[in-house]
Amino acid sequence: MKPSLDTTTLRWLLVAGAVVVVPHALVLPPWTLCIFLAAAGWAYLIGRYHVYHPGRVLRTVLALAVIAGIYRHYGTVLGRDPGLALLVSLLGLKFLEVRDQRDASLLLFLYYLVLLGSFLYEQSLWLGAYALLATVINSAALIQLNQPRSLILSQQLKLAGTMVAKALPVMLVMYLFFPRIQGTLWGVPVDAYSGLTGIPEVMRPGSINHLSESSDIAFRVYFDAAPPAATALYWRARVLWETDGSAWRRGGVQALAPQSFEPLGDPIGYRVILEPSNKPWLVALDLPATVPEGARVAPGYVLEHPTPVRERHEYRMRSYVRYDTGALTNAERAYAVQLPAVGARVRDLVERWQQQAREPADVVRAALQHFRDEQFVYTLQPPLLGADPVDEFLFETRRGFCEHYAAAFVTLMRVAGIPSRVVVGYQGGEFNATGGYLVVRQSEAHAWAEVWLPARGWVRTDPTAAVAPERIELGIDAVRRLTARGMALGNLPASQLANALALGGWLPRTWLHTRQYWDYVNISWYRYITDYTPQRQQRVLAVLGLERFSWTSILLLASAIVGALLLAYGVLLLRPMRREDPVQRLYRRFCRKFSRAGLARAPHEGALVFTERVLRARPELRTTIEPVTRRYVRLRYGRAAVSADELRRLRRDIAAVRL
Amino acid sequence: MLTDWFPVLAPAARGEVTLGRRQLYILPTRHGWWFAAVLLVLLLAAINYGNGLGYALTFLLAALAVVSMLYTHRNLLRLRLSQGACEPAFAGDSAVFSVCLTNDAPVPRLNVCVVRDKTVVACVDIAPGESRRVDLAVPTKTRGLIAAPEFMVSTRFPFGILYSWSRRVAFAQPCLVYPRPAPNATLAAAAAETYSTDQRAQRDGDDFAGVREFRPGDSPRHIDWRAVARGQGWHTKQFGGGQFSAMFDWEMLAGLPPEERLSILCRWILDAAGTEMQYGLRLPGVEIPPGHGEAHQHHCLSALALFPTA
Repeated sequence: MKPSLDTTTLRWLLVAGAVVVVPHALVLPPWTLCIFLAAAGWAYLIGRYHVYHPGRVLRTVLALAVIAGIYRHYGTVLGRDPGLALLVSLLGLKFLEVRDQRDASLLLFLYYLVLLGSFLYEQSLWLGAYALLATVINSAALIQLNQPRSLILSQQLKLAGTMVAKALPVMLVMYLFFPRIQGTLWGVPVDAYSGLTGIPEVMRPGSINHLSESSDIAFRVYFDAAPPAATALYWRARVLWETDGSAWRRGGVQALAPQSFEPLGDPIGYRVILEPSNKPWLVALDLPATVPEGARVAPGYVLEHPTPVRERHEYRMRSYVRYDTGALTNAERAYAVQLPAVGARVRDLVERWQQQAREPADVVRAALQHFRDEQFVYTLQPPLLGADPVDEFLFETRRGFCEHYAAAFVTLMRVAGIPSRVVVGYQGGEFNATGGYLVVRQSEAHAWAEVWLPARGWVRTDPTAAVAPERIELGIDAVRRLTARGMALGNLPASQLANALALGGWLPRTWLHTRQYWDYVNISWYRYITDYTPQRQQRVLAVLGLERFSWTSILLLASAIVGALLLAYGVLLLRPMRREDPVQRLYRRFCRKFSRAGLARAPHEGALVFTERVLRARPELRTTIEPVTRRYVRLRYGRAAVSADELRRLRRDIAAVRL
Repeated sequence: MLTDWFPVLAPAARGEVTLGRRQLYILPTRHGWWFAAVLLVLLLAAINYGNGLGYALTFLLAALAVVSMLYTHRNLLRLRLSQGACEPAFAGDSAVFSVCLTNDAPVPRLNVCVVRDKTVVACVDIAPGESRRVDLAVPTKTRGLIAAPEFMVSTRFPFGILYSWSRRVAFAQPCLVYPRPAPNATLAAAAAETYSTDQRAQRDGDDFAGVREFRPGDSPRHIDWRAVARGQGWHTKQFGGGQFSAMFDWEMLAGLPPEERLSILCRWILDAAGTEMQYGLRLPGVEIPPGHGEAHQHHCLSALALFPTA
């Protein structure tokens, strides 16, 4: 039993196989890839040089060894990862027993399963483009298999490419209209979600700071109307109440019932597309007035998600940037003033403010003034702090990132007996004019404070804004650029700021625009490929005015569109196209003359034989027929190109033939 | 197959048929069903994992299969089939009918197969404007006219998942089958009769100059047939010149069954045609005066082939 495929077909088979396995290269255990490659190489050597061909027994042993190896590696052979590892290595072994066209066809079909397998890890635009390429290559291999003679490589690829191009619009219709089903048919294995970044659950000095280097996108926001000013873009993720002097946690406040608030002003409507964070909360603009489906609101007006967010999550929100939260319950107050013992220096400082204050708001102002007046520095590289970080920060280092200021400020407030809490989330965002949405990156992670004042309820107070207003007004990116130029933050003159922040030259501008376009392409890809959920499908149908139709009529419509497309292709591909040689056409006219006279040319008769036969029957026509035949034979079979003049002469000669 | 009951296409006398939509059929192959099974698996996986790209791949492949239907159909649509010449055969040999497949379209037709009795005879690729010939050999048993065989063209191009085939075609032009030539040995008695009784067996030219042993290379017309018939071995007559003219007569072989007579006459004609001898043929109701040449031989053999059976 030797493989009987020719080397070219075999090569196609191996190349197409390698193409679909490549996206798995970094995910599968290396030894499965080695098996795949080794088997492919072996199969090629068998086809090319007729080296030793493994028999049935050896092949079975190899297959069993692979299954055992995968079991050993994963502890199971079921599930996504072991299943794909098994598929890839067994496909490799299958190369060794591809005998005929049937085996090869099946193998090429199975490649598509491997291709789909790679989508389970990633659904990026790149992978989509790659899959399209792989489909073209696979189709070309299938063409090679079914038509092993006349076509050369480029023609096979061209034919496959043309066919795929024709299939794309049909695919698009099916894709948009095929009813999407919510939920799964069988259990989706929970594989590890690692490498996801996001703001941490526990805030310590430096824990948000480490995000400032990350340009990963945290979420994107589509506002219904114009986006609010940058200074209002405070995105809440979590409220931290409990502290041990160093770390800040959510604490036991969870048990309390969430409070409502009285909105002031107009609501802001928007949609958030949250990137996977592996954290069980959703972000919302200060303060959220609605709760997305599946989420719940927790004390501190933050949204919680029952499970960690491991996939892109999209939800609609409405928020009010001006509000009055009203009275504070006793239980909440207890959580909001909790404080471990603090140093004497801190106590002295707060007491000095309290003596001059008539109401709590004065203490808040005094604290902010303190940050502004003393030599506090907002820095992306704060020094490390010891056991009592707040004390050390306030009186010694005085260099910190937002979490240092927030933690220190809330500590000071609680020493003064003012209910206060730390809020973590994001501040700012970059507006993408191309896509009309706001991009918020991990580097925009921020921590600020809220104090409860009797007249106004919870009031957002951002000590960072007191130290470095640029952070809030211009964003973290501007801060980075300013500090890179060695400029001190806090009270830079506007002209100097503008100078420093102007995007110098076309290159950075182009880069910014390219980046925005690219992000727009990516998010559109996400919205229509990765996250084309039943809900999004409904929205697309609504845009098309089809939301009230039943699925039956929508599917009928889709079939009609597909039918129309195919009809168009049919007209394009199947219309009669006679590319007849003008010489041939004239000669047909000549033959028709004889046909009418009962001297039809038989299909197998060449021009010369036919002429001989005609001349035997009608010798008197020799003078008119012979020039035609001679010219026809020369023009049709001669090497020289046919000139217009020659054609005219042939036409004239034929016209001269009279029966 | 269902279409086996459809009437066979019998092209008009011109011996040409162009395959139209109504003459072509298409169905998935076994590979096609495998492909459909893989698509189903892909769809289930896409649904289960809610995988957008998975849906896209599944639908792309489904669309590709549908588009390939047009390509498969186009591969045969308006293919022109015409009957080529058929060389007459001797009974027992194969009559070879040739079919010309002509591609008038500006695109190549690839892997077009000619199928007869569910067996692929040959698969050809036809470049734009070109013709390819496929020979259909039909074994013959008896002399006479043999009808052109039924055949169809089919293709699995481009992906092998769809099979398109035409209605069966049978060209009108039959092929002539000459009688099976008798083996040499049966010349025996009859040949002797020829020379002793036939008045028309004449001798022209110079006088008979005697016989000598037959040597390879001697002209067969100078063979001493009488001696051969008597079983005296092969001898060559030697003359100063002149030509023989023989008349092969049905009556000479009286007493033999008719088919055997025709076989022997066929053998004589073939042997005589190999020489420069003039020969004629007389059958009941048919008389062909002596002559020579390929056309004459065909004329004589056709008369034998078409001689009515008793």
